[in-house]
Amino acid sequence: MRAVKILERVLITIPIMFGVAIIVFFFMRLTPGDPVDIMMGQGGAVSTGEMEQLRSEFHLDEPLHVQLWLFLRDAIRGDLGYSYTQKQPVSELIVERLPATIELAVGALAFSLLIAFPIGIISSVRQHSLIDQFSMAGAFLGISMPSFWLGIILILLFAVRLHWLPVQGRLDFGIDLQEITGMYVVDSMLTRNWEAFASSVKHLVLPSVTLGAGVAAIVARVLRSSMIETLRQDYVTLARAKGQIEFLVVMKHALRNALIPTVTVIGLQVGVLLGGNMIVEAVFGWPGLGRLVVNAIFQRDFPLVQGAVMVYALTFVVANLVVDVLYTYLNPKITL
Amino acid sequence: MLTVKKSLLACVSLVTLLAVLAGCGATPTPQVVIETVIVEGTPEVREVQVTTVVQETIEKVVTPTPPPARDVIIVALSSAPDTLDPADHRNRQSETVIRNMFDGLVTRDSTSGVHLELAEEINWLDDVTLEVKLRQGVKFHDGVEMTADDVVFTFERVINENMIEYPEAHTSPRKGLISPLASIEKTGDYTVVMHFSATWPVAMQMLVHQQIVPKHYLEEVGTEGFVASPIGTGPFKFVSAKGLDEIVMERFDDYYGGAPDLAPVGPACVKQIVFKVIPEASTRVAALLAGEVDIIQAVPAELVDTLSQTPGIQVQGAAGTQPKWIELNVNAPPFDDVRVRQALNYAVDKELIVETIYGGRAVALPGPLSPYNNFVNKSLSPYPYNPEQALALLADAGWTDSDGDGVLDKDGQPFSFTIDTLEEWRPLAEAVAGLFREIGIDANVRFWEYSVVKPMLQAGERQAYLDDWGDSAFDPVGHFEAKWHGFVEGASYGRGNFSGYNNERVNELTKLGEITVDTAERQAIYDEAQQIVYDEAPAVFLILPEEAEAARADILNWMPASDSRINLHDVCIGE
Repeated sequence: MRAVKILERVLITIPIMFGVAIIVFFFMRLTPGDPVDIMMGQGGAVSTGEMEQLRSEFHLDEPLHVQLWLFLRDAIRGDLGYSYTQKQPVSELIVERLPATIELAVGALAFSLLIAFPIGIISSVRQHSLIDQFSMAGAFLGISMPSFWLGIILILLFAVRLHWLPVQGRLDFGIDLQEITGMYVVDSMLTRNWEAFASSVKHLVLPSVTLGAGVAAIVARVLRSSMIETLRQDYVTLARAKGQIEFLVVMKHALRNALIPTVTVIGLQVGVLLGGNMIVEAVFGWPGLGRLVVNAIFQRDFPLVQGAVMVYALTFVVANLVVDVLYTYLNPKITL
Repeated sequence: MLTVKKSLLACVSLVTLLAVLAGCGATPTPQVVIETVIVEGTPEVREVQVTTVVQETIEKVVTPTPPPARDVIIVALSSAPDTLDPADHRNRQSETVIRNMFDGLVTRDSTSGVHLELAEEINWLDDVTLEVKLRQGVKFHDGVEMTADDVVFTFERVINENMIEYPEAHTSPRKGLISPLASIEKTGDYTVVMHFSATWPVAMQMLVHQQIVPKHYLEEVGTEGFVASPIGTGPFKFVSAKGLDEIVMERFDDYYGGAPDLAPVGPACVKQIVFKVIPEASTRVAALLAGEVDIIQAVPAELVDTLSQTPGIQVQGAAGTQPKWIELNVNAPPFDDVRVRQALNYAVDKELIVETIYGGRAVALPGPLSPYNNFVNKSLSPYPYNPEQALALLADAGWTDSDGDGVLDKDGQPFSFTIDTLEEWRPLAEAVAGLFREIGIDANVRFWEYSVVKPMLQAGERQAYLDDWGDSAFDPVGHFEAKWHGFVEGASYGRGNFSGYNNERVNELTKLGEITVDTAERQAIYDEAQQIVYDEAPAVFLILPEEAEAARADILNWMPASDSRINLHDVCIGE
């Protein structure tokens, strides 16, 4: 039954993606700015007719409905067109960059959960204690610190001053790594290249902390409040009355039920981690999708923006689906 | 492409922190040396202040971790190149990288103009026919010799339509840069003849920007294979690229040596070079301080001072090629009155701006062209800062503070206008607006994204626009065509003209300058044109900032170039 429901949800993704494609198509074309004009830059002459010719090569001289039809027709075949500026197929550019973005998102998620769970649990159990107040103040700080600022501070402290971690990039220059998935930490483990493993983990730390700080703060706060709520429930009192040790009461009875709102928030944050990392990618010179898209938007590189936004939409849809499926495991009363 | 506001904030934080951190370190002993630099194309001699650092101090302070292998130079770029195909971009950054792998018929250095590179001899057979004799024995990176066939192929790939077949057949976007070239033919194994449709005095300057590609290799692997693993005749050969974010090259040992006029001649000094993209300026600076990179591009003006005082780091500037001005809408009040436009020019204290915003690393514009342009009008000097003169001109035009509220008015209307600009020019725009307010003009600043504001500017819907316009050819053609000639739909003329200025004599002189070969005649043409634009002041002529780059102190023979070329052929690593 569950499998059928999941399949149903997967199929719903198709019209959603279709809708996203149409919306992003029109939004890009409604934005002022001419890609060909931007491409020509400032210096040097532009020969007569040269710009018209480029527009025609990009099909920008066709009526909008024709352009939309061409885009959708090719997209259904899996062809997202080619980037105006980089002259490479969009799908290739995205596939090239996506692993770096996923690796950073996973790193940030791992960091944030590692921080958020102990903080959230401890501060709910020891509500109003010094630990609670201290960690909630920390969470507040985590939410309010802009990532470009936090990133620079971390770089100055841990990379420039202490030399513990690298400033930027994904791997030290001179280390060879055979790429399999494009995620360097995974690839170095698969190929048992421990030098590359150490280097790629080191490079991942600061961007992950920067990107994950905000998420850690949000998750810790949500987990704390839902834990406080759950700890007041009758079944928790009953568990305690049965004489179960406090650790088990908290971890087994309370935590599992407090997880439902927390998982929802985490699910949404995964989308944010994958799609909202442009700033962190720029600060740490991380060659991911975010940076590519921001540049593409400024260049009005329509095909590249369209392709990337579709990927982002897909990650949100998938993250939501995973969250919904997780609900059914956490609470069997919930069905898809 | 983060919002510049964020970058600026980050820079400010960085400056503060650097100051704090510098306090913890050893005291540097900088040594100031005055170097004399001959600026390209002008007989003028400029003095440039270069800060070097005493060697002992460097050894004490710089302990980079991890130390980069010292036969490798890592360059941090501010943005990625678009491609590694010399014919398929219209982007300075692509050329910055490409020109280490590819050479052209001619090249240009920062100080002495155009020199022969792959061409051994260049002769004008008549006004429109150019004969190029090629250097013999030049090898591509695969060992095959470069001949006339490669040169013909290279230029035909640019000027003929739909010559680039990947990913879909299209015409080179560099065609416009060499549009007068009608055809090219091989007249011998090492001789080609170029036929131009009209006389083209800037031919040499523009040939610098076309690099020779191997015919045999492109025919064998196609453009797709070529961009994946490009081959040229340059000092470095391609090794690998991760996207275009990290491009690795190594020394080409069979290199013919490069332009014979420009020492050192011979294979490159370092074994390997790496171009890495680090878009955030503060991170580039941090990477340099941490010893992760050796050279960084585009040092923001506010970090130049801090960096030049940091031990183990050298900062150098090259004459910029992107003048900044405020174009005034000459077709609508209040700027349809030439007196008002001149008054605004007198109201700006350019020296103050150069000192406070650019730390002295900029010069005031003497008129519509850069002071380093080969044909700058020597009799023009920047509008002096003279608020009294400005007020007198404004009073003449009817603008006085009749109601005593501190703001000039005319016919009951206060003198109020908006300077449109881009976020990256915020400090400059706000400073200029402040100077206007000092004489009673209510000037405000509004920030835009270029692509959004541009159509409005061309439609004459805005009042004043502060921005730059880059042209690295050191010739007036670029700026006169794009900025000071009236706008002509679908052509180069006026494609960057945001003031609506359209003076028939200037248009005529612009066109004449494009085809006049005789230097003295050209100088006379451009002198007159510059004088007219200077007098009619369709813009407030502001400043020209330097291009600042920084490197570790042990990077030798390194010099930033005005056209942003990072030429690593000459660069060595010291002990």
